[in-house]
Amino acid sequence: MSQIPEKMTLAEFEQRLPEFFATGTGSISDDPRLQAFLLENPDAAALVRDFESIVEAAKGLFAVGDAEPSDAVWQNIQNELKSVPPEGGGQGSAPA
Amino acid sequence: MQETTNADLETAAAPIPAVTPPAKPNSGLFKRNPPIAGEAEAIERAKNGDAEAFSKLYSLHKRRVYTLCLRMLGNVSEAEDMTQEAFLHLFRKLGSFRGESAFSTWLHRLTVNLVLMHLRKKGLNLVSLEETINPSEEDAPKRDFGSRDPMLAGSVDRVALERAVASLPPGYRMVFVLHDVEGFEHNEIATMLECSTGNSKSQLHKARLKLRELLRQTEPIAPPAQIKEAVQ
Repeated sequence: MSQIPEKMTLAEFEQRLPEFFATGTGSISDDPRLQAFLLENPDAAALVRDFESIVEAAKGLFAVGDAEPSDAVWQNIQNELKSVPPEGGGQGSAPA
Repeated sequence: MQETTNADLETAAAPIPAVTPPAKPNSGLFKRNPPIAGEAEAIERAKNGDAEAFSKLYSLHKRRVYTLCLRMLGNVSEAEDMTQEAFLHLFRKLGSFRGESAFSTWLHRLTVNLVLMHLRKKGLNLVSLEETINPSEEDAPKRDFGSRDPMLAGSVDRVALERAVASLPPGYRMVFVLHDVEGFEHNEIATMLECSTGNSKSQLHKARLKLRELLRQTEPIAPPAQIKEAVQ
C-alpha cells in the first residue's frame, strides 16, 4: 500500500480509498496503519466494511451460474456450425 | 444475430497483454478456475472436430458464459446472442488453445472481448459514456461522509447484489463485473476498455458507492437516518 499520511481528512481518505483497495494486500479494516484513522472516523470505517462486504459477495458471484441460456441458443449454434469448419482443427463434423 | 467479421474475431481472440498482478487475495484466475473432470479430454477431442465433445464443452460452460454476458450486458436477448457468438468463436479458435491458462479463463477472456467488441459496434464508448463519467444526478453515487446512515447489516445477500449490479449504469457495471466478480486487474481492464488504470479504479470506486446505496435501499428499515450533510 502506498504511503499513508498521519493526518487525513475524510475527503482525502475517500479520494485515496480506490488506491488503498487497489494496492492493499488484504483487509483494509484490519490494516494497522489505518486503525487510528478508522477508530476516529466511524463513517469511514463503515464505508470500508461495506465495501469489503460487497467485494466478498462479488467474489462469490464468480462461481455462480444460475442463469441458463434457452435451448434455442444451442440449436442456433448447431445450425451455424454445419457450414463452419474449425480453424486449425480436425476433419470432424460440426456438432449434430 | 449480427454479423462478425474475421478481423473482428481476430481482435476478440487477441490475448490481453501479459501482466504481473500484485499479490492480492482475489488475483489468479487460474486458481479460481480449477480444471473440470473430463474437460481436458473433451477439449482435445473437440479440437479434432468431435461433435459430442464440443457439446460437452457447451454443457460445462454455457451457464458461466451466459451469466457473464448477462452481467455485462444486462439484457437477456443480447446475452443469448453473445453466448451463441462466444461458442461459435470457440469452435473456430479451439485449435489455438494451448493450455497456458485454464480453459475457462481463456473462454472468459474470449467472451469478455466479444462483448466489448459488440458494445463498441453498437457505438457505446465504454469509458466516455456520459452516465459513467458524469452520471446523472439520479445515477451518481451519493457522498457518504458526514452522514449517519446505517452501514450494511453484515454480509451482502447474493440475490440482492445481483439485482443491484444489474441496475448499475453500464460503465460502472462493466468495471465492477470485470474487477470484483471476474477478477481482472485494473491494468487488464484498462487495456480492454482503452482507458487509464486510474479511470478503472475510479469507476470501480463509484460503482461500489452506488451499489452500497442500492443495497441499503433493499435492506429492512433501520433506525431513522440523521440529516445528511454532503461533503463537498
